[in-house]
Amino acid sequence: MAAVGICLLPVTASPQAVDPNASATETLPAPRLPDGRPDLSGVWMGGGGIGRLAPGEEMIMTPWAQAIFDYRQDPEGDAANEDPNLYCLPSGVPRMSPYPWRIIQTPTHGPETHVFILFEGNIHSYRQIFMDGREHPEDLDPTWYGHSIGRWEGDTLVVDTIGYNDLFWFSFQGHPHSVELRTIERFTRTGLDTLQWDITIDDPVAYEKPFTVTSQARLMPGEELLEYICQENNTSAGRLRGPAISPGGP
Amino acid sequence: MRASGIGRPRQRRAPWLWALLLAGATLGAAEPAPAHHAWSAEYDGNDARELRGVVTRVEWTNPHVRFYVDVEDADGAVTNWDLEMQSANTLRRNGWTREALGVGDEVIVEAYMARDGSTRGNARGNVRLADGRRLFVGEPE
Repeated sequence: MAAVGICLLPVTASPQAVDPNASATETLPAPRLPDGRPDLSGVWMGGGGIGRLAPGEEMIMTPWAQAIFDYRQDPEGDAANEDPNLYCLPSGVPRMSPYPWRIIQTPTHGPETHVFILFEGNIHSYRQIFMDGREHPEDLDPTWYGHSIGRWEGDTLVVDTIGYNDLFWFSFQGHPHSVELRTIERFTRTGLDTLQWDITIDDPVAYEKPFTVTSQARLMPGEELLEYICQENNTSAGRLRGPAISPGGP
Repeated sequence: MRASGIGRPRQRRAPWLWALLLAGATLGAAEPAPAHHAWSAEYDGNDARELRGVVTRVEWTNPHVRFYVDVEDADGAVTNWDLEMQSANTLRRNGWTREALGVGDEVIVEAYMARDGSTRGNARGNVRLADGRRLFVGEPE
């Protein structure tokens, strides 16, 4: 091994150009793979969910979806116990949990065939995104994460997914969807430690029109995924009372 | 299920561990999103009570670490409380280890009461030990 190294870190930023309130890595650019594609790999935290509508967007449920949603809000019921997430089943897309997750692009040299998203929780599972140009199959069995195909639009990874089942909830509140759900996700690494993740929800059975939500994930430098087996000691099922999000929480 | 601490005497912990645990109070900024279950459907955020007693069991597990405390009332009756914390992964990242709390520890802890009326609770703030040390349990999930 040669003892001489080459420093590849940018060294040109002057102290005056650095925002003292910014993180040390915030001003660094997103890295790239050898062929120039953005390198999205790393351990990330956050992002996903349907809690933040993009500007100008609105989420309007169909009567079918509204009836399901209202049932799940009944303060006299215990519909919160019906959330599959409570039973350590997958959260689907785009719901996320407060645990780290990792993006893997493979191969990193040569034409990309897959992008994987590994979840620490909840649950300890993965998404598989095909990058080889294939189309969605005609006859898909409905699944928790559906069938995902991806492509690059400039520096943005666009992921098109269909073939979802209708079992997972979009949120703890119980926003529903149908097997007609299609999601279009746009992942853009806007800097070294920030991943913009915008999601368009298109489900004509459950929502009157498509809507887009926006989110950001942040890089967790040096972090690794830990094992998280939700079934290990899940004692909450059946013990919930009232709507999923009831008043009075801290 | 493997549960740390069962049937074992409390082990003496290295001094550095306590520094780490205290550091976790600031380093372990909890994510606002709930993780596994709808917290407010399981616990009453308006009903937190202080419990004092002796740890009888620790389950260093996911989706939640649980510890059990024998609490004696004024009449001498003992109730075993089942107290929930965050996931083992989250506590680990916050500086906890599975040895941080052990069988036989005398603790004072505030806990939100379960809505189902059982002797279950969700630990909040700090678990205080008899010698004055405090273990931050993070925000409820």
